[in-house]
Amino acid sequence: MFVILVYDVNQKRVAKVLKRCRQYLTWVQNSVLEGEISDVNLKKLKMELQKIINKEEDSVIFYTMRTTNYSSRELIGLQKNEEGNII
Amino acid sequence: MKKTIYIFSDGELHRKDNTLCFEKEKEKRYIPIEDTGEIMAFGEININKRLLEFLSQKEILLHYFNHYGYYMGTFYPREHLNSGFMILKQAEHYMDQTLRLKIAIEYIRGGGKNIRQVLKYYQGRGRYVGDKLEAIEKLLLDIDQQQDIPSLMAVEGNIRSWYYKGFDDIICDTNFVFEERSRRPPKNFLNTLISFGNSIMYSICLSEIYKTHLDPRIGYLHATNFRRFSLNLDVSEIFKPILIDRTIFSLLARKMITAKDFDRDANGVLLKEKGKKCFIHALEEKLKTTINHRDLGRPVSYRRLIRLELYKLEKHLMGEKTYTPFIARW
Repeated sequence: MFVILVYDVNQKRVAKVLKRCRQYLTWVQNSVLEGEISDVNLKKLKMELQKIINKEEDSVIFYTMRTTNYSSRELIGLQKNEEGNII
Repeated sequence: MKKTIYIFSDGELHRKDNTLCFEKEKEKRYIPIEDTGEIMAFGEININKRLLEFLSQKEILLHYFNHYGYYMGTFYPREHLNSGFMILKQAEHYMDQTLRLKIAIEYIRGGGKNIRQVLKYYQGRGRYVGDKLEAIEKLLLDIDQQQDIPSLMAVEGNIRSWYYKGFDDIICDTNFVFEERSRRPPKNFLNTLISFGNSIMYSICLSEIYKTHLDPRIGYLHATNFRRFSLNLDVSEIFKPILIDRTIFSLLARKMITAKDFDRDANGVLLKEKGKKCFIHALEEKLKTTINHRDLGRPVSYRRLIRLELYKLEKHLMGEKTYTPFIARW
């Protein structure tokens, strides 16, 4: 499954949320991560984030799609993070 | 499916914020640990014990290759799928000559039939490989009659030499002539590509073996010795023609790899970094493509197919179902 995760959380918790998300997904922009993830790992990530965030103040949105086949990705301007699994 | 990370740059790979971080001068790159299946290190990377501990915990294999791109070794974490039963069964089938021969024959048959399939495809595209195909067809019939491993290996050698003779007809490029198989170091461009592809194939198979109960030290076709893993060499035999050789043919046909991508060294011919990256990119695409699996009735990627092959071997060793190799049908 492919996931795009965007978050808007209080500054106090930004670092915590980012660190946690980086274990599962690839950082693409400030507050945006994306990547391939399994059902179980997605559940795990959601649970872990729920423990970190304050439900009154923060919001995290998951856009999930089964495959990326029917979507396209276009970038204008600066690429903030290198892509691909060949470093 | 978890990803393979290929590292060509020089830098430091370490554990940071409970995930992987690759640091090269002033640039940091985080790698999601939960989405990493194995790491292939080609560049000069610094690592510490903390990282190895972390990789063990997450069951990630680290394969390393030397300056020339030869396979050097693997950091093989603690076995997490321990099974004394399976090891005993594996050893039992190795020690008994007839049982061992049975499995070895299947590997050669699988490899040989896949070779035939590759040639058939190019015959259909008007390449002149008919005579090679005929010779291989004949040799395939001999496989069952072999009484011991060395004579079986000889048949395999003959199949391969016919197969390699077909390479020039398939590629049709004067820069990439086959001449003869040379290794350590390879003497021409084509041999360099074959060697590079094979060593990656071996490490991929090893990674898949790690995810099963099988012990990579006990192989059937390749003798178990004191030096290296051998079961991954056996399994690779089946997949080399359909994965590596086909990737080479398509890369050369599309001129994605040309003579410019090689370096001639006193010791032989080396593939430059750009060429390696290009090759790996194509191979990754190949491994990701799915085919419809007839028994399972659902699409399966080539990478998963390797694992299924190992599961079949496990079943054979346990006496549940006789092993038959995967044979491509196209």
